[in-house]
Amino acid sequence: MSRPRALLEVRALHAGYGALDVLRGVDLEVRAGELVAVLGPNGAGKSTLLRSISRYDATLRSGAIVFDGVDLARATTERTVRLGCLQVPEGRQLFARLSVDDNLRLGAFVRRRASLDAELSAVYERFAPLAQRRGQPAFTLSGGEQQMLAIGRALMARPKLLMLDEPSTGLAPQVVEQLFAIASELARSGTALLIVEQNAYLTLRHADRAYVLEGGRVALAGTASELMRDERVKAIYLGGSTA
Amino acid sequence: MLQLLVAGLTVGSEYGLIALGIHIILRATRVVNFAQGEFTIVGGLVALTCVDVLHLNMWFALAGATLAGFALGLAFEIVVLRPAGRTGEAGVTIATIGAVFVLLYGHALVPGWGSNPQPLPGFGGPATGSVELAGATVQVQSLWVFALLIAALAVLYLFFERTYFGKAIRAAAENPLGARLIGIDVNSTRAVSVALGIALAAYGGTIIGPITLVGGAAGFALTIKGFVAAIVGGLESPIGCVAGGLVVGVLQVFLQSRLPYDIADPIVYSVLLVMLLVRPQGLFGRRDAVRD
Repeated sequence: MSRPRALLEVRALHAGYGALDVLRGVDLEVRAGELVAVLGPNGAGKSTLLRSISRYDATLRSGAIVFDGVDLARATTERTVRLGCLQVPEGRQLFARLSVDDNLRLGAFVRRRASLDAELSAVYERFAPLAQRRGQPAFTLSGGEQQMLAIGRALMARPKLLMLDEPSTGLAPQVVEQLFAIASELARSGTALLIVEQNAYLTLRHADRAYVLEGGRVALAGTASELMRDERVKAIYLGGSTA
Repeated sequence: MLQLLVAGLTVGSEYGLIALGIHIILRATRVVNFAQGEFTIVGGLVALTCVDVLHLNMWFALAGATLAGFALGLAFEIVVLRPAGRTGEAGVTIATIGAVFVLLYGHALVPGWGSNPQPLPGFGGPATGSVELAGATVQVQSLWVFALLIAALAVLYLFFERTYFGKAIRAAAENPLGARLIGIDVNSTRAVSVALGIALAAYGGTIIGPITLVGGAAGFALTIKGFVAAIVGGLESPIGCVAGGLVVGVLQVFLQSRLPYDIADPIVYSVLLVMLLVRPQGLFGRRDAVRD
């Protein structure tokens, strides 16, 4: 059976902060055009996984992270962005005092010598509410618009893989629904997505595959429809469903 | 009256530039650079070398001092602030205080600089020229200081508000995590910010040089005046910093004209305490700016 090489491959990853071990052997892969979810309770290591891949601040102890054929063990965050691996972090981390337009243009920092007009209008087309607020500082946007801006800013770098850390936090259900619809659309158009979420059922409805992390290890993995029927997922997330 | 006002605005321009440099560096590094005044002194002395040794006119001397300030600022960030940063913000602050002493005693050892203040020639003519303006005698060099202050502010405004790299620097200063995650190398933007701040100090030390002399041990006093200016105007607001500088300059000159020198300065410093108690965001700052 031939299948395309994974865009992102995480193998036996151990990582943490200082003396604290958070990930204790995580294996995961994401292929182009896939929407993959990482689920799990608080403290399971979901965000640490994304921070490790972005080479932000978690320390890698052993194992490997290979993105598009490049070993990220010694890469800087800047390098991961140049390779096309983008993260929309928890809390969005926008440039609050800069305008919507400036936030988006800065998203293309690693390819700033290219013409950005085509990407910019594509983002405004995808996220219509932002188009009306081009000149406004980012802090004046609503929560949903801020999340759109954070995703739009990452899209300006033309990512091959887009990682979203808890995109639904603090947003109204219909806004979250909208964001996941956009995420599915992005996946269909070829961008791989890796979404970390606590909201399991909502995420599983849009995902192709999912991993459940517990205590820094992969407790379960499979297609979204398998996991949705899995008794253990139901047990873990009983009451956590908004679907 | 007008004469005092012009004199106050002239020294105030220098305080404003020092305050603005402190502001730019603080934004990028979260640290107050206590050596800002010393870099102002060194900038003036570089201009002196350009004039005395290289026989350049004041315009080229100004360019030379500003570029030297930029290079010195890059070195300062890479060699001093960045390694000190690994110990935390307190470590960096102490490193800038260390830099005060290195620059204060170090500059006196440089041939041609020494420890005593020295004169600089004027911009576009002798340093002593004056004109009649609305019945008052005004130094021509004061008018150059105002023009050069406005020119520097215009250049900085265009850089930070209109250029892509200027906005990237602001973005990295405001949210380093967000900046790193879109591929901005925050170490580089930080180094450029410090370099700009020090270049501004050197520029300020040179434009006022024809009036106040260059060199000497007044660097730390300049830092404090600049800091008072920044607090008066609002540390978070670039325009506030410059306006605060002008306010402090005028206040100082008026006080000195009425009171003995050793009483006027403590009053200027006590403005700092009053402002911190009464209006910590500064005259021109927003209330929410205080939290960082």
